[in-house]
Amino acid sequence: MIRARDLTKHFRVHKRPPGFVSAMKSLVRRKYEVVKAVDGVSFTIERGERVGFLGPNGAGKTTTLKVLAGLLHPTSGEALVEGFTPFRRQTRFLEAITLVMGQKSQLIWDLPPSETYAMNRAVFDVPHDQFKTTLAELTELLDLGPLIDKPTRQLSLGERMKCELAAALLHRPHTLFLDEPTIGLDVAMQLAIRDFVRSYNTRHEATVLLTSHYMDDVVALCPRIIVIDAGKLIHDGDLRGLIKTMDPDKRVSFTLTDGITDDELAKLGTLLARDGKRITLRISESELPEAVGHLLGPLHAADLAIEDPPLEEILRVMFGKSKEARAGEPPP
Amino acid sequence: MRRYLRLVTVQFRISAAAGMAYRSDFLLEGVMTIAWAALTLLPLAVLYDGRASVAGWTVESALIVMAYFMAVKAALEGVISPSLIDLVERIRTGAFDYVLLKPVDAQALISASRFEPWKIFDILGAIALAAYAFHRRGLGPPALADVALGMLLFVAGVLAMYSIWIMFAAASFWVVRLDNLTFLIGAIFDTARWPVHVFRGVWRFVFTFIFPIAVMTTFPAMALLGELDSDTALATLGGSALLLVLSRLVWRTAIRSYTSASS
Repeated sequence: MIRARDLTKHFRVHKRPPGFVSAMKSLVRRKYEVVKAVDGVSFTIERGERVGFLGPNGAGKTTTLKVLAGLLHPTSGEALVEGFTPFRRQTRFLEAITLVMGQKSQLIWDLPPSETYAMNRAVFDVPHDQFKTTLAELTELLDLGPLIDKPTRQLSLGERMKCELAAALLHRPHTLFLDEPTIGLDVAMQLAIRDFVRSYNTRHEATVLLTSHYMDDVVALCPRIIVIDAGKLIHDGDLRGLIKTMDPDKRVSFTLTDGITDDELAKLGTLLARDGKRITLRISESELPEAVGHLLGPLHAADLAIEDPPLEEILRVMFGKSKEARAGEPPP
Repeated sequence: MRRYLRLVTVQFRISAAAGMAYRSDFLLEGVMTIAWAALTLLPLAVLYDGRASVAGWTVESALIVMAYFMAVKAALEGVISPSLIDLVERIRTGAFDYVLLKPVDAQALISASRFEPWKIFDILGAIALAAYAFHRRGLGPPALADVALGMLLFVAGVLAMYSIWIMFAAASFWVVRLDNLTFLIGAIFDTARWPVHVFRGVWRFVFTFIFPIAVMTTFPAMALLGELDSDTALATLGGSALLLVLSRLVWRTAIRSYTSASS
């Protein structure tokens, strides 16, 4: 279980304007500014949940993950993970969690991943039999096969990420903090990692908190999402609920062989895109049955698909609103 | 404890494997080791050319100091600096996060993270040099008690060196870029090839109490020669222990202020 209560993390950063003169000045007198990376965030995640953690760049996602993983001391508030206070970094806490950072590596560069695994086995004091079973399971789930005996520097980005995941999970943690685990990977590899996270979660009833820039990862993996912006929590709930409140209209795409004017289409819904014969409309839920009936009936529409609005779009609107709200606030 | 022993064994094996990953480097390092050992003796030969003693040290006794210098330098270059250079690099790139995520003491994990196994040849060279010095001296081999004390003080000397390195390296938690650290420490440590009595006034004070090369080479050499009084021996051990405690405190303060590099 993960619990954050009124969690804050402030950084004191040195600030100076560009230019040589200000560089000289800053040697003598420095100006500091307090950045509120995380600003009063509260949530609870139960064991076995998969939660997506979203927010624009610099929203405080990674900082929150680092506080929860015990890498950073919170400025105030309380964090509790698996019953431990993270920043105390007790042995049993560190044995129960893992943090995977898509942009950082723990594999030894010049040696095959198997050497890093041997090292982690010693560090986490994993019994020999358990190590063998876990490695076999991870090898199967991630399709590692020959990769673990190739020097890390010879692996592709995707292959390396799979090996990183295995290194981070050899001690069978119950709580997984995944910070951009699919960054820079191609679609096939993203899918593989996604499947893996889902099956690890089911097999071990592991709690997963995931940040990703790829909304597809989040939509596919996380029934619940937490959204933060400028260090503040702006949404916590199930994904479908968020979509319904923010934008209940559906996206209806179809192909028309007969010509139709934009005006005629406007009677059915808002025209979002028209690319040759492929058309996308935005139609409210109440008008959906009638519009679809008309499309499939008299208009002979083919390849019709009804979808929720893309998560990117919803978030863009959300962050826009949150920014407006901040602009309206008096300065601190 | 068992966990730490297994960890050191695995790290040693991995470092040896990493060292041999580039075979040509491994051979080159071996040749360099021998060349350096020979070069180390050259200044001593120049200094003692036509002199019976310098600052009360005969050439044979000075060779013992040199042997200690070679051995401590081997420990420095074989374990201490590679590990701590690695630490500085990990802090800079943010990969130090992965060290803090491991359920073992971060200082212990990082202090033995890299070995350069071929430095063992330097240690063997140092022992050979000491044996030669005793042979040349013509007073027979050292007493067993002196050898024991000499070895104990060698360990104390290495720990003193390690403590100083840890304190410098801990600075990289605040300063981040410390590329020249190895050169700086290497340059200061180079003075340890001379008995501390060669230096006068303020320098002798500095090299005894601030950057205690006396603790690292001179006093252990005197112990092996049977010339060290018990007070100085105790003070050497105490000084080294004090440095170790101090470095631990600095390390813990540094860890607390670690805020980790970019996400």
